Amino acid sequence: MHDGFDPLTHPGPMPSPCISLCVMDPDSDLCQGCLRTMDEIIGWSSATEIGKRAIWIAIAERQRTA
Amino acid sequence: MKLPSTMQVFERGWLSSNNILFQGRDGTALVDTGYHTHAAQTVALVAHALQGRPLDRLINTHLHSDHCGGNAALQAVHACRTMIPAAEAQAVRRWDQDALSFEATGQQCMQFGFDDTMQAGDRLTLGELDWQVLGAPGHDPHSLILYCAEARLLISADALWENGFGVIFPELDGASGFAETRATLEVIATLDIGTVVPGHGAPFTDVRGALTRAFSRADFLAADPVRNAQNAVKVLLKFLLLERQSMALVAVPELLTQIRLFRDINRRFLQLPEAELARWAIAQLCRVGAATVKGELLVNAD
Repeated sequence: MHDGFDPLTHPGPMPSPCISLCVMDPDSDLCQGCLRTMDEIIGWSSATEIGKRAIWIAIAERQRTA
Repeated sequence: MKLPSTMQVFERGWLSSNNILFQGRDGTALVDTGYHTHAAQTVALVAHALQGRPLDRLINTHLHSDHCGGNAALQAVHACRTMIPAAEAQAVRRWDQDALSFEATGQQCMQFGFDDTMQAGDRLTLGELDWQVLGAPGHDPHSLILYCAEARLLISADALWENGFGVIFPELDGASGFAETRATLEVIATLDIGTVVPGHGAPFTDVRGALTRAFSRADFLAADPVRNAQNAVKVLLKFLLLERQSMALVAVPELLTQIRLFRDINRRFLQLPEAELARWAIAQLCRVGAATVKGELLVNAD
């Protein structure tokens, strides 16, 4: 998932991380598809570009530590 | 994106439509519920956002499986009143899966009931805002869209996206859809709109730009109906691939034979042997990065 996407260098606007695998993981409380929390999914469309980039950076971090 | 404080947009992907949640002194309501394979997440997102409040109303702009697939799951959890386009009432009452497009497209939808209907000309109060119900035929003959003049907002379903609009389904069955698509865009063009909340993709504010692109696309498709047919094959196959994530390459021609809408499109517009149509559709999805071939499998890609 999200291979090759660099949230630090992407010029923006930041795309939605959703990859249409929308299932919450009961252990991590993250979406199994995009690795976002429910707050991050719900808040995405009203987030600022900086906020969206921060979510992408959090996703990258979760991918690394998963 | 600045939206009224009583309104939240859950931007989903392409398998599920966006969900729009309203919370006001007048109660809570959700517009469109996504695809059934995502229903558990839809229920969880709604519950998380409502923080213990019940969902009072559920509203569908139209009854394609990616817009009403979460209805049954939400109805099981909430004692919500469900409102659907009046023109679909009989099909839902009888659960006529063919009239409802699920059978013809090979898509799934859990059976749900409804309590109320709406039609063009009605007014709804959602999130303490007054919304006009407008007819939006084209993508779907019975689709409705919602316009709020005071907040300059349009909930456009699949009638207008930032880049285009949904497949024009009626034309695939030999009915009229191009003229209706254009007429719907013309209605939208008369409205004073600050933000469009589309059925798929992010809410957007460049409404003029989106309308220009949509008119241009409508003209392009209407000039040669084969283009709409080819687009439909690609979109429907991508939908099935999103749902399944991967499928055997050898199963694709079979799929194109089994699913009625593929058969009809091929007979009416394309007239290709199934194997050739499958090869073409696979190549098209791969060309735009929507799929990749890995060994014997066609695998979803984004």
